[in-house]
Amino acid sequence: MVEIGLLSRSPLAAVLQPGHYGQPGQDGLVVQERTGLHIVNLAARRGQGGALAVAVQRSWGLELPTTPRRAGDGRLAFLWSGGAQWLAIAEGTGDLELSLKDRLGSLASLTDQSDGRSVLRLSGSRTRETLAKGLAIDLHPRAFTPGDTALTLAGHIGVQIWQLDDTPSYEIAVARGYAGSLIGWLLPAGEEFGITVLPPG
Amino acid sequence: MRIICPLCGERGAEEFVYHGDATVRRPHPDSSAETWNAYVHLRDNPAGRHSELWYHAAGCHAWLVVERDVRTHEIFAVTLAQDVALARRPVTA
Repeated sequence: MVEIGLLSRSPLAAVLQPGHYGQPGQDGLVVQERTGLHIVNLAARRGQGGALAVAVQRSWGLELPTTPRRAGDGRLAFLWSGGAQWLAIAEGTGDLELSLKDRLGSLASLTDQSDGRSVLRLSGSRTRETLAKGLAIDLHPRAFTPGDTALTLAGHIGVQIWQLDDTPSYEIAVARGYAGSLIGWLLPAGEEFGITVLPPG
Repeated sequence: MRIICPLCGERGAEEFVYHGDATVRRPHPDSSAETWNAYVHLRDNPAGRHSELWYHAAGCHAWLVVERDVRTHEIFAVTLAQDVALARRPVTA
């Protein structure tokens, strides 16, 4: 039997090179492509939303959000992602889809999105000003806080964004085919504040 | 115009797609050709309050029933189309 090995390649490899861009000596925006993430979309089966929340609570001690919020941390988080839908995101080498399938059984339909989304981590003192140039929702701390998430547009591209902490730092997930286009908007938007692109990690 | 999505909160109209009149009801399959013609083609065009279907295409992908004044863009109510449909469904034992 012929073994076919598929190489995993980032859609950002050609457009997001580590280095400094824009305004010299300033670091208003720090961009890093996240790697090694396991991403699975969960959609509750009809009438099983309550049972799914109970199963998630029992298995991981996390409260499945029913509003646009993120529950969990970097190791495993559940993000609200539309009515009766969530994204589970985990770091590490385990098989997230298998682990979810084992514990959630027939309560939800699972779709592996690990290779379907690119995730960027954005931080730096001018992150909000940069995002405001193309993201129409209000990211002021009064309106959007750590743990909040939103499905919206950034530079006319559909994204899911969530806030990690008050520094402020965010993560933004985009369909991988649009990742290059998102960078094509983000880097010019942040140039005036100075941008550091970190190696993927 | 801004629409308050029941799931996502207030968003700009650019995130939504208009999908037509929310007042029409699909006739029974055995209905007459005239009834089907009216359902498919005939629409009222009220100047004022109207009930419309909007789809949150760039957000949570929910279908919404938006009650609004088409002259002023004032919005009176936004409901998940799913809830509207479930409320209409006859109660079965």
